[in-house]
Amino acid sequence: MTEYLLDMRGIVKDFNGVKALDGIDLKVRAGEVVGLCGENGAGKSTLMKVLSAVYPYGTWQGQIFWDGHELKATSIRETEEAGIVIIHQELMLVPQLSVAENIFMGNEITLPGGRMNYSAMYKRAEELMAELKMPDVNVALPVYHYGGGHQQLIEIAKALNKKARLLILDEPTSSLTKSETEILLDIIRDLKRKGVACVMISHKLDEIAAVCDTISVIRDGAHVGTRPMSGMDTNEIITMMVGREIKNLFPREEHPVGEVFFEARNVTCLDVNNPRRKRVDNISFQLRKGEILGVAGLVGAGRTELAMAIFGCYPGQYSAELWLDGRRISVDSPRAAVTQGICLVPEDRKRHGIVPLQGVGANITMAVLGEYARHGVINAEKELCQIEKSIARMRIKTASPDLPIRGLSGGNQQKAVLSKMLLPNPKVLILDEPTRGVDVGAKYEIYKLMFELVRQGLSIIMISSELPEVLGISDRVLVIGEGQLRGDFINDGLTQEQVLTAALGQSAALAA
Amino acid sequence: MTTRDFKRFFSQYKILALLLAIAMIWLFFEQLTDGAFLTPRNFSNLLRQMAITGMLASGMVFIIISGEIDLSVGASLGLLGGIAAILDYTYQLPMPLIILIVVALGIGIGLFNGYWVAYLRVPSFIVSLAGFLAFRGILLGITKGTTVPLESEPMIMIGQAYLPMMLGNFLGVAVFALMAFLTFRTRAGRAQHGLAVPPLWQDLGKLGVIGVLIVGFVYTLNQYEGIPVPVLVTLVILGVFSFMANQTVFGRRIYSVGSNLEATRLSGVNVRAVKMLVFGMMGLMAAFAGLTTTARLAAGSPSAGTLGELDAIASCFIGGASSRGGVGTVYGALIGALIMASLDNGMSMLGVESFWQMIVKGAILLLAVWIDVVSGAGSER
Repeated sequence: MTEYLLDMRGIVKDFNGVKALDGIDLKVRAGEVVGLCGENGAGKSTLMKVLSAVYPYGTWQGQIFWDGHELKATSIRETEEAGIVIIHQELMLVPQLSVAENIFMGNEITLPGGRMNYSAMYKRAEELMAELKMPDVNVALPVYHYGGGHQQLIEIAKALNKKARLLILDEPTSSLTKSETEILLDIIRDLKRKGVACVMISHKLDEIAAVCDTISVIRDGAHVGTRPMSGMDTNEIITMMVGREIKNLFPREEHPVGEVFFEARNVTCLDVNNPRRKRVDNISFQLRKGEILGVAGLVGAGRTELAMAIFGCYPGQYSAELWLDGRRISVDSPRAAVTQGICLVPEDRKRHGIVPLQGVGANITMAVLGEYARHGVINAEKELCQIEKSIARMRIKTASPDLPIRGLSGGNQQKAVLSKMLLPNPKVLILDEPTRGVDVGAKYEIYKLMFELVRQGLSIIMISSELPEVLGISDRVLVIGEGQLRGDFINDGLTQEQVLTAALGQSAALAA
Repeated sequence: MTTRDFKRFFSQYKILALLLAIAMIWLFFEQLTDGAFLTPRNFSNLLRQMAITGMLASGMVFIIISGEIDLSVGASLGLLGGIAAILDYTYQLPMPLIILIVVALGIGIGLFNGYWVAYLRVPSFIVSLAGFLAFRGILLGITKGTTVPLESEPMIMIGQAYLPMMLGNFLGVAVFALMAFLTFRTRAGRAQHGLAVPPLWQDLGKLGVIGVLIVGFVYTLNQYEGIPVPVLVTLVILGVFSFMANQTVFGRRIYSVGSNLEATRLSGVNVRAVKMLVFGMMGLMAAFAGLTTTARLAAGSPSAGTLGELDAIASCFIGGASSRGGVGTVYGALIGALIMASLDNGMSMLGVESFWQMIVKGAILLLAVWIDVVSGAGSER
């Protein structure tokens, strides 16, 4: 009677009135691999959190049928007992514990008195490793002995040990090398033959095409369509993923663009945890005076890492050759970057942008405090004067400049961080997701400001996950995919499809 | 008043809560000692008792604000005090030279610790634990475990002398004049830059309160022997460090490093240098406290300063510093030290056994930080 193992119907989930999911359906048969696709922020992760009861039953509307019965799970434990196991993008292994201990975490086999039954656990773990074609893994060794690819498979072993009937893989290959990815895809095919169903979230369409039977696309929280994979080509998928018009939210203004002014050559960043993998792979680009250069790409493509390398703050090993105004510059720290005229407004405002306990004013003048001081003593009045100017210019809404910045809304915090990075009078301003978590009104003001700045001769590099924003603001667009430069387009009649096609690695786009 | 208003009131006016706590402690002991606690003589004793912990706490509070900890200051206090005694007794150097050498060594020790923390990235807990052992070890080595007496009168004066009454009065007037000058300079500065100037009565009222406090303080101490030199030194430190915390670039950096290190670094601030200098300041304070301790005992003792770091750390937390960094004041730390000294002093007068004193101090520390946590300072982060 039940054709489907999983049948999600009309799922609606809202956050404070904003609909993240608006009536989504998802159906999975036993032993079927479904690829779940959609742009950044389309709602893929939210949907999986509903399914695995990270958002418990009752906090969303709609119905989930599991094996023919309605599932009303209120905790991850219940969904795991039912056989739904999610493997997150960031692995949830304890590096110091052994492979077997990780596999059995939370449901250890015990002897009387709570002692661990290691022999039983090792035996079972070895069986699982053999099943996953990794018989050479020593299950008694700590997990950190093994690289990212093995760890991903250990996560899968952990899921299989829980008798998973449906495996949810969220970007499983995002930290794997090519050959590790191949092994993983083989395993997925293997599991499919054993009747384990799988939902795979991935930005890499070639991987989706390689293992999935069905593809389901969501966009802006709505279900766009579900099709069998056979007979689909990636262009069709991309069209399904984008499929929306750019609304006139962007106050595009004409402005002169000058000569090449800044150049980054051969930027390469190695992954902090897996140095064999390149997060940024030999990217070079140029920036003209008064230009807004959009940097597009999917989450994890290496855009932020590129910005960090240019700003001298990439945490791992990296190399970059920077030229500013015809001179080779050396940037080994944010301090060196700021003094030489490169400023960065970071992506993660809370962690890297604001100093939460300090006043709005102190945050704004942080980078140039020395200018208001003589012999190290701050001239408070002179400083306050500048602060009030910045607050007025940016229309930052705060009761007082002394108010701790953590009390402000996201938009106002962002404006304060922007003010901070404008005071050193940068020549190149890097904005990493400048409008994330910012309301529409503040967004508009930020765009306006960007045009004002470029007209004054500043050059801006804007990293953004919102394609409409990239296309609505930029003069030129760089597309980055899997750490590589996939395209460098003049933004003249450029479409979202072209950008997304390049980002997803369709090499044909390079010709455009 | 609901609990929430109550909480908000105290988180906003922490200083009031602390003063209230001191008033309650003092009244409590005054009651139990039949009026022997609140006398000019005992007030003078109390302040001299808190001076050494206060000096350490003044340095420690910046370490805590910057998000670190220093367990080695008791040992470095002992070491620096011991060196002062040896320079005096064995080498018979003149006092100014001894002070110069000890201060330089203190700053050196602090910067050494700071270098390990900031540049070599060893956690400050570990670095200072190593210092805790090693510095005490060096002290035992150079003194061979014996007490080194002080010979020269001027050295002993540092810890035991009082300011002549006339000089005390003069200083009181001078401090008041300085405060008045600063107030009016701020008003003039605001007016010059076209900023709102607070009403005159408000500033005059503040000055009035400050004046009453200064008169009361100087008058009470002059009733006994005058202002003790270590207390004067502590007050000067309070003034200088408060100025540094509020009015200088470096002071601002310390708070922002403690509140969000990464954001500060990404704003182009040399966060490592800030951290190292904070430890340097701590070393300077250990030198002052070491000189004072040696002078007060008129000898360099191999056990001087034992557990001094813990009193200093407790003072900072009682005085409102946050264990998560970014929050704290010098006056808070000193009030914390005063609370600790009051408890010690009062219980000693009552003849409470020392084990009880330790238990009570431990309980107060726990209580103070718990109040800080529930008053909501942390829940928003």
